[in-house]
Order: sequence, then C-alpha cells, then structure tokens
Amino acid sequence: MSNQRVLTSTAASAWMAVGIILFGAWYAWAQEAPPGSPGQVIVTQRAIRHIEERHWPDSPAQGAGKFGSGITEDSLRQLVKEAVAHGRVRHNTNGRPGQIYEFDFGHPIGITIDGRPAYRLRVVVNKWNQLVTAFPF
Amino acid sequence: MHLDYRLSEDWDENSINLAAADETELRYYAATGDVILRNDQSDLSARWGWIPLIDFALAWREIAEALAVTEGSETFEFTESDATLRFERRGEEIIIRGSYASGEITVPFAEFGERAQDFARRLDSELLAKCPELRRNLAYQDFKLSGLSP
Repeated sequence: MSNQRVLTSTAASAWMAVGIILFGAWYAWAQEAPPGSPGQVIVTQRAIRHIEERHWPDSPAQGAGKFGSGITEDSLRQLVKEAVAHGRVRHNTNGRPGQIYEFDFGHPIGITIDGRPAYRLRVVVNKWNQLVTAFPF
Repeated sequence: MHLDYRLSEDWDENSINLAAADETELRYYAATGDVILRNDQSDLSARWGWIPLIDFALAWREIAEALAVTEGSETFEFTESDATLRFERRGEEIIIRGSYASGEITVPFAEFGERAQDFARRLDSELLAKCPELRRNLAYQDFKLSGLSP
C-alpha cells in the first residue's frame, strides 16, 4: 500500500513536471511570436502609401515593378493575402530582418522593370508580420 | 571602380520619424537615392532615386565580410524590384555583375572592401549632418556605419 502511494505520488510529480515544462515552452513561444500569426500579414497605411508611391501604375519611380491599371487598395490587400497564403517563403536577404513571400498568379498582375508582363508578386514583411513592401516582378 | 551615391531630392526626411524609426523602416524607407557604380568599361549604376542607401551600405559591408572568409559568390537584392547585383570572388579579385545592365566590373578584393567602407562612412557623415535626430535612434546607432571595417 505504501509502495503504491509512493508510485502514485511519483507519477503525479512527473505529470506536474511535464505540465510545467509544457507551460514554460508555450509561454516562451507566446512571448516571441509575432502579433500576426504565419499567413496573417498586418497591412498598415504606411505600407500602402509606400507601395502606391513606388509601384502604382502611375508611379514615376524608375526600375520598380508596377501593378496593372485598375489596382485598388482592396485588390492589393487580396493579392498580398493570396501570395502569403500560397507563396514560397524565405528569409529576407542581405541581413534585412523579416520574410519574403513570392507567388506566381499564373496571369499578369503588372509589368516588370523592363516592361514585360509580370506574373509574380513579392511581398516583404518585417519580423512582426507587418507588410513592408510588395511589387510585381 | 567608382562607387558613390546621391541622396534623392524627393526624399522627405520628415516622412518618417527618424529618431524612432526601427531597423526595417531605416532599411526600406529612409535616405533614398541613386547608386553610382562604374569603371571605365562598364556602368552598373542604379539611378532610380528610390534605393535605400543605408540598406545598400549595410548590405555591401555584409557581402564584403562574407567574401573575406571564403571564395564564392553573394547576391544583393534591390528592395523594390527583382534586380540584383552578383559578387563573385576569384582569388584576390571580385567580379560584379548586374541583372539590369550589361558588362561587369572587376576590382581587387582589398579595394572592394575599402570602397564599401568609404561609402558607408560618407553616407553616415552626410546623414548625421542633415538629420541630427538619427543620433538618438538606437537602431541607426547599432548599424555603426562608420565604425566597422569590412
């Protein structure tokens, strides 16, 4: 009886330890996780303004891909959402923080820097999953 | 090799809070302009006006550091297009090619590092003179544009 009590007590302690470890791991993950979960990009007005300045059909910026005529803020949000949901993801390069998503839509969404139809969208997000820029290529 | 920059007159230093801008904002939205990169035979300059020059300086320094320890190649991706600059180290030389222009530039590795360092130092000096609030920005100070050799 005494042995059984010891065994029960040991098992309870073990489960408690596992629980503490799991809670600790979850807590650490929750502290480090960005506010937007993977696949959910936060689109700020700052980013929209930046994209309009560089990549809108009437933007005078040279050497930057342009969205097709008819693009709107809503359709941009949809393109970004689709690229992030279905695109290939990689770490940003050259020491820049954040991630890059790239997705081929299978139809032109704009023009490349040399004037050809652009089928792909590159979406750059920072380490908090906030949109930084997005452009056709 | 001639490596230089020109801050764009269109860059509005009041468009972001330079004292509080984070790393990404500084690397994507601040201090935009042109990059001049050429030698007597080839011109790989990117005169697009929107190139974030702080980011360019940091990336070149990182590339110089990477190629200092091993032969091979590194790629610089421009922030607002799929254009790239490719750097290939062969022995004591670096060969630079651009996806957006023909030709190549070959430069001794030591000179490449010096040019990258000089670019960063001059940019740092001009930006701090033009935008003293950057001195209060910890993210900017962490870049140590003038402080590290490649």
